[in-house]
Amino acid sequence: MRTSSRVLTMLAASCLLLPVSADARGIHYGAVTDPAILDCDQLQWRGQTEKSRLCYAELLRSTTPSSTKAEAAWALNNLKQANEWFRAATVESPDDHATKVRWGNLFAASHQNGEAMNIYREVLDEDPANAFAMLGAARVLVGSFEDAANSYLDPLMAGTTLNDGALLGAWLLVARVSLENGNYDEATAALLEADELVTDTDWPALEIYALRASMDLLNNSDDNHWTELSLQYNPHFGGIYATPAHFYMITRRYRAAIDMYQKAVDIEPGLATAHEELGINLLRDNQMTRARQHLETAYELDPFSPRAVNTLRLMDSYSDFRLVDDTPVVEGEMPIVLRLHEDESAAIAPYATKLTRDSIAVFAERYGFDLREPVVIEMYPDHEDFAVRTAGMPGLGILGATFGYVIAMDSPSGRPSQQFQWGTTLWHEMAHVFTLEATNHLVPRWYSEGISVFEEWRTGPNPGVRIPMSVYNAMKDDRFLPIANLDEGFLRPTYDEQIIVSYMQAGLVCDFIDRHLGADKLRELLVAYREGLTTEEAITSVLELEPAEFDKLFEDFVDTEHGAVLDKLEEWHHKQTEISNALAEDNWSDAIELANDLVDIIPQYIESDSPYLALARAHNELGNREDALNSLQTFWINGGYDPSSLKRLGHWLADAGREDDAIDVMMSINLVDPLDRDLHGELGDRLLAADRAAEALQEYEIALALKPHDMATAWYRMAQAQHKLGNIERTQDHLLQALDIAPNFRPAQRLLLQLASGEAN
Amino acid sequence: MTRRFTSLAGLMLLPALTFAELHAVVVEGLPGDQVYAEQFNRQVTAISMALRSVTERERVRVFRSDEASRDAVLGHLESLQSEVRSSDQFALFLIGHGSYDDVEYKFNIPGPDLTGEDIAASLDEMPTADQVFVNTSSSSGAMVDLVASEDRIVVLATRSGAERHATRFGDYFAIALGDPGADIDKNQRISVEEAFDFAERQVSDHFERNDQLATEHARLEGQNADRMALARLGGALPNVVDTALGELIADRDALNAEIDTLRLGRDDMPQADYQSALLEIMLDLARVEDAIEARQEELGANE
Repeated sequence: MRTSSRVLTMLAASCLLLPVSADARGIHYGAVTDPAILDCDQLQWRGQTEKSRLCYAELLRSTTPSSTKAEAAWALNNLKQANEWFRAATVESPDDHATKVRWGNLFAASHQNGEAMNIYREVLDEDPANAFAMLGAARVLVGSFEDAANSYLDPLMAGTTLNDGALLGAWLLVARVSLENGNYDEATAALLEADELVTDTDWPALEIYALRASMDLLNNSDDNHWTELSLQYNPHFGGIYATPAHFYMITRRYRAAIDMYQKAVDIEPGLATAHEELGINLLRDNQMTRARQHLETAYELDPFSPRAVNTLRLMDSYSDFRLVDDTPVVEGEMPIVLRLHEDESAAIAPYATKLTRDSIAVFAERYGFDLREPVVIEMYPDHEDFAVRTAGMPGLGILGATFGYVIAMDSPSGRPSQQFQWGTTLWHEMAHVFTLEATNHLVPRWYSEGISVFEEWRTGPNPGVRIPMSVYNAMKDDRFLPIANLDEGFLRPTYDEQIIVSYMQAGLVCDFIDRHLGADKLRELLVAYREGLTTEEAITSVLELEPAEFDKLFEDFVDTEHGAVLDKLEEWHHKQTEISNALAEDNWSDAIELANDLVDIIPQYIESDSPYLALARAHNELGNREDALNSLQTFWINGGYDPSSLKRLGHWLADAGREDDAIDVMMSINLVDPLDRDLHGELGDRLLAADRAAEALQEYEIALALKPHDMATAWYRMAQAQHKLGNIERTQDHLLQALDIAPNFRPAQRLLLQLASGEAN
Repeated sequence: MTRRFTSLAGLMLLPALTFAELHAVVVEGLPGDQVYAEQFNRQVTAISMALRSVTERERVRVFRSDEASRDAVLGHLESLQSEVRSSDQFALFLIGHGSYDDVEYKFNIPGPDLTGEDIAASLDEMPTADQVFVNTSSSSGAMVDLVASEDRIVVLATRSGAERHATRFGDYFAIALGDPGADIDKNQRISVEEAFDFAERQVSDHFERNDQLATEHARLEGQNADRMALARLGGALPNVVDTALGELIADRDALNAEIDTLRLGRDDMPQADYQSALLEIMLDLARVEDAIEARQEELGANE
């Protein structure tokens, strides 16, 4: 018997992985002891589907106990009827804990975890050693991303309850979670325990086979031994493919997952979870029609599944989206397809297309990989739609997700603009497209994220190394992980903010490799991962360093680059507080002095509490416009993107007669807040005044598409740009549009008369 | 000129006499704190300046918050009842905080508050029915049943008395009165409707962009809100009587009427024909506007 502490660690760590989905009426390992039901179950476990259905149906017709009828109805997928029979059974026999637990299992299988937990707790109050109640609760809590699962599993694994079936279920749970966590030794040990327990029983070893097949897959073995055994035992056990498919999916090999899920539903067409996952993964591969078909099947089989319902509703909302195809003009380039909400597409598409094309050019050259398929980019104005698109459920904290050639992300309106620079997010996700596809999706999470963060800093639309203060704090506390374990920080975080700390560490690692070990090494590491090497192997082989040596060099690099900052972190925090007080008291000169001190500590700090913003405000209040302008300009140059601050900077630059600089700043706001109606008109005016009529026209077209309040002016601006470009007919058309709205619009009238008189512009 | 105008010049009143006199009262409520003090001050200033571009300065009475007692405001409204003619227009603006206890609306001023009933009674007793009442306060929607009438234009910052948060509508309404972007028909005048539409959209955009639930929904009641101007962009017109200018304005009015007629028939004619006819009228209108502008400049130079 293993010590409970190991189990505790494993299950606690699983909280951020995908849930262990509640199966339909799966193998119960002795939770049901009614011989009549077991006879039918044996037929079902052997894949004799039709015979088993007749068997269950006969039990429903016969005079059998309510608990038997409940199991039979459940097996026939009549969940409502099963629920009624379970209720009746518990009324008839209130002390029948086994039946109560099965009722809880039914709730869990129909995605009602709260109800299930109520029943398990009720049973455990009356029968604290009830092993199947403990197992049921642990399964629910693991699936619900809660580490409280251990409190239920602990006594079970410690052997305080003597029930081999429940223990077997517990070992299978441990094996699955261990595999998800990459702890293959633990998984192997758990499966051995399960093997021992299943031997000499009537219970099938199908789930053990499925997990062993998954382990082979994760070890890159294509041995089909376990699959063959499973198919011999039960040719219709879809789990033998669906379980490995799950592991393909969580390691981001979506197309391989699709193939496996398809096999699962081919041999077991009634497996709702496989249809659901197949649908969701097909969506990740942009196979809309097939995805809908399987999601609808999943919904028919399991109408209680929130993931299927959410995803189908999301697909219904696609009628409000527009597909924007950017067919390349250069031979060999890949098309780009944007799926954008119809209210936003005109404003976002021009910038998104350009950014995507730019990123492809940069990454293809740097990483020596040419895209082989069109890139599909979806942007969701409603963050919860993006979450459903990504995980099937709302409540996801990330900004974007890349599934291969398909990217889904928040649209610029999905979050307040001061929190989200969508252009940088798109750049980040495009880097993922390259790292995933260049490695056949074998790149580890840390390296894919590291390259994306590094490229944000180095080549992104808003370049510059930007490290949040929380990460500096973690660096000071020496919380960076060894390179060999860096993936853990993403997959199994152990403290708040470890994920963002891991992002930054991964970015810094790539920065270090690029600057100190050679830019080619970044590309060579991708090749190593494509060949199936682990991180330790890749570091040793490509960088010719042992992981520990690498860690030491990286530590020195961080110390050199950021050591001075870390030494002054306390001073930073103290002075930040003082600045807030000085600003609140209108004590502008103190605020300036303090902010200058902070700039000396971290010159590139441009978060929302950046000292440059305090400097700009204080200088402006004191009437030092030039100093205020310079502060904001430094903020912008270092990557600051707060749109209201940048708008202010743009106006100050224009006031100072620096029109070209003002235009540059305003154009950068489009990568943060392209839906700002006023900005496009104003920027267009400046571009037109600077004789950049074609660019002005683009801004005016976007302004018009955003349906501004003053439509007459929007049309007039279009006319002005077309006039500058020499398009007389379009100028007249646009003028008439303006005058149709506002007949007495003097500037439009004057331009119309100018056209009529044949005057050149 | 390619067309003959259906001139009504001989029958038209001259520019300085074409509008009924507008009498306006602007009341600034108690702000409560410095932030609102600055906000209300800014709004009242903008509104009163705008009103002075469409009527004589002395016809706009402003009560700043320190002088806006119930007696003073109601006393002034009573005195106006003998001054305002039935052919005149009357506008009342309340800028400040309001409250509603599910029974009675109150506009917060020093001393006893103005109640909804006080205000409604004063409006009802005004000799002219051609009125606009603008209340930008919180809970102002509670007044709708008290003040709405067929001839009166009513602008309230909230849908009902239950919308109790301090409003943003007033700020945007005041901005609209000086913003060319609010002048949708580009006639250089901001009508009640234009100011309302501008402010309503800005309020909606504000909540949407900040991802917040809207806590206020303004309402506009009554007819002809598009015809009553609250501001003239570029300042007041010169107060002169000129026959030639009158004729030109009559020509412009006739052309605008033609445009209205053309628009009404738009759905029954091919698009190309519509565009062609529109172009012809627009060119004529542009020339008349040129002539009006030239004449106004002449008159200004002679003054």
